Amino acid sequence: MGLDRRGFVKIVVGGVAGTLFTPVIWQSLDDVSIWSQNWPWIPRLNKGEVKSKAALSKLCPSGCAVKVKTVGGLPFAVAGNAANPMSKGGVCPVCAAGAQLMYSPARVQSPMKKVGEGKFEAIKWEDAEALLVEKLTALKGQDGKIAAISGDETGTANEVISALLAGLGNSGTYMMPGEKFVAEKGVKLMGGSGQPGFDIAGADLVLMIGADALDSWGATVANQKAFAATRPTGGVATAKFVYAGPVLNSSAAVSDKFLPVPPTATAAFALGLANQLISAGAVSSAPDFAEYKALAAKYTAEEVEKATGLKPETMKELAAMIKAAKAPLVIAGASFGQGAGALDFVAGASLNVLLGRVGSGMTLLPAAPKAIASSSVSEKDAASFLANVATGKAAVGALLVYEANPAYALPQAGDMAKALGNIAFKVSFSTYMDETAALCDLILPAPHPYERFDDAMNPYGVAKPTYLAGKPVVKKPVADCKDPVDVLLGAAGKLGLSLGFETYADVIKAKAAALGADFDALTAGGIWNGEAKGASLNLGASALAKAAPAKADDKTLALAPVCKLAYGSATLATPPANLLTVRDTELSGKDLFVQMNAATAKKVGVAEGAKVKLSAGSGEMKARVHLNEGVAPGTVAVLLGFGRSAWDEFTKGKGDNVYKILTVSDEAGTGLKVWAGSTVTVAKV
Amino acid sequence: MEEKKQCKGCGGALPFVIGFVAAVIAGWVLFPNLLYSKKVQPIRFSHKIHQEQGMECSGCHAFRDDGSYAGLPNNDKCMECHSDVVGSDPAEKLYVEEYAKKGKEVPWLIYQYQPDNVIFSHKAHESFECKSCHLELEKSDTPPVYYENRLSGYSKQTMKMWQCERCHAENGVSNACHVCHK
Ligand code: SF4
Repeated sequence: MGLDRRGFVKIVVGGVAGTLFTPVIWQSLDDVSIWSQNWPWIPRLNKGEVKSKAALSKLCPSGCAVKVKTVGGLPFAVAGNAANPMSKGGVCPVCAAGAQLMYSPARVQSPMKKVGEGKFEAIKWEDAEALLVEKLTALKGQDGKIAAISGDETGTANEVISALLAGLGNSGTYMMPGEKFVAEKGVKLMGGSGQPGFDIAGADLVLMIGADALDSWGATVANQKAFAATRPTGGVATAKFVYAGPVLNSSAAVSDKFLPVPPTATAAFALGLANQLISAGAVSSAPDFAEYKALAAKYTAEEVEKATGLKPETMKELAAMIKAAKAPLVIAGASFGQGAGALDFVAGASLNVLLGRVGSGMTLLPAAPKAIASSSVSEKDAASFLANVATGKAAVGALLVYEANPAYALPQAGDMAKALGNIAFKVSFSTYMDETAALCDLILPAPHPYERFDDAMNPYGVAKPTYLAGKPVVKKPVADCKDPVDVLLGAAGKLGLSLGFETYADVIKAKAAALGADFDALTAGGIWNGEAKGASLNLGASALAKAAPAKADDKTLALAPVCKLAYGSATLATPPANLLTVRDTELSGKDLFVQMNAATAKKVGVAEGAKVKLSAGSGEMKARVHLNEGVAPGTVAVLLGFGRSAWDEFTKGKGDNVYKILTVSDEAGTGLKVWAGSTVTVAKV
Repeated sequence: MEEKKQCKGCGGALPFVIGFVAAVIAGWVLFPNLLYSKKVQPIRFSHKIHQEQGMECSGCHAFRDDGSYAGLPNNDKCMECHSDVVGSDPAEKLYVEEYAKKGKEVPWLIYQYQPDNVIFSHKAHESFECKSCHLELEKSDTPPVYYENRLSGYSKQTMKMWQCERCHAENGVSNACHVCHK
């Protein structure tokens, strides 16, 4: 008996027919339908209870109390904290992307040691900490050999860093430049002391000179809430806002009036306004009023027009608006939050003195009590320090970089990055692989704000002493990181120093106790407020008299860097979600657009879309031109935050970095390093 | 030619029947065994013992305040009793040492595991008995074997869309996409 072809076919047909009566085909088809949802590369949702936890979101030094939404213990979204009296339920686009940033591919996953140009290897924490201690031990007791740069204006971490350096016989803790540093110097020039504050909520007219108070200046979210409160839905606005600055930016866009003023002419604008107010009858009991009046008289409407392009009638109208206001307030600052001179601040603040608004509109905050008595930060900022390193005036052996990105976010950034090369051992305490971390010898990853204890004392701009604190909302960070302050306190112990604390949480508790604040209430999203001190200021006339008039020439344009907080900050590249909000007229492909008005473009011989090179000092950058009538005459506006060489695939290599072409000069009369009034040459390529 | 015509075993319906029967047996007996791999739960969790301690199902499988369903308890819940070893069962010891003390959640195998694109509300199905969809585990001392489909990666008990749709249709509930897929 054998099986022939026909028999075999019959068996197969029988088999196929039989299969139809089994689950094989039907079950397989059914399974295939859901198989596609189970491919291993499809991201999986984290399941679990959805909670909303209070946190201090410090993605910029201001720090805002927020609610972090978690599922199964992991953050997935951020919302404002309505119970917090400062941010009042608001959150800006950076922290709104805060949960996403926790999982950024740019995060440093573990301690890294440099093993070659641009090459790092992951090392264990114990080895990384031992290396740090070894390097610091070698330089202990040699003043000037160890330095630190901090980019956190408000954290008590600075006290720990500076106390550690002091214990090692060094005094060089330098802050990244910001408004606070310059404003405090300005207050001194006006015969006062302390950090100035501005009560936007209590004003019925807010004149912002340069300061982008509704987007990137000061405690942004609190400012925006104060603004919003004056615009009740369907009701009449209860306060007027005027923006006088180089670009029709986010603050200008929502203000009642925008006055285009080049960044080189803000002091002239303020003194021209003072002249108008004095002519209209304003007087001050300040001891230097006569001197001030004589100085302001030089800033006639014609002179102001020459410097700013503003017509005399415009200045008159503004003066009339201010006179009619019951509680006017003037806020002066750089349009991008750094690099302005103390005299720019004084010129603006003197208007508050003239209007009798010191103590009510413009306040002065008393010095906050310290958690560590031996701490003190340097009188100079990081830009001055690195300039000294570049020239060899400062011979530093070890540098600690805390929450700062000096290789990217200082004027003449290229030179600053080179200066870092003169320092033998550099440590970066950073959450992300930023441009400075990429140049360091050791990277000690810091936790993301939702993974750590942190605090914010007197964010610049607040009208009364203010303290916020936060604790981790997750049980464990998603990367192998440690709190930098815990690492430094541990190192201090191994170096034989006792700073009195073992963890940053303890330091913050001590700070809260020194203020009389309740730590638990703070970390639950609360706030501590003190009282501003009563003070009188003079008009700063003798300092202002030394101000050098801005030099104008036909070959250069005033450079106005524009900061849009949504696109990131000095320490943070644009959050990936926010890249979608960058306009085609700001960035197209890899080309950044610089903006100028049509008359300026004609003057430099360029048209819409033209490729240009901007140069100043030893730096240059490439871009294309977009015509925008919202830019002041003789000014080129350039967005900050682009041209990243580190970070991640989302931000790297897009556009160019404007910090490269900011040039530093010495402010006449104060000797401060300034760069807000930088000028550049624009050439077609 | 003559010989072939005379091949008896190859004629008639017999080969067809043989193929048919073989396929039916393979399809009903071999195929399910080949299709599913068998897995056991990482911890031999006894519902029986917990019930004997007087615990209610809802003590661990409860609705949260927002109406979402907690499903399986996590370490926080288990550690209310088992932060340290309290009994003599090796399974408990394993849980405490390998999970509770290490802060690691137990990777329980979910018999009714659904893909992420399905939004299933237990609240909306509250009137049904648990066993309408789930295995009856309340008396089990050892959790049943978990059968994982080698093709799709899902559990054998995972409810398919046609089953959801049938029940919705029978109960007059909408079968629009957005009802289950957001
Ligand atoms: S101002 Fe914006 S970026 Fe800064 S802390 Fe507040 S929400 Fe975050």
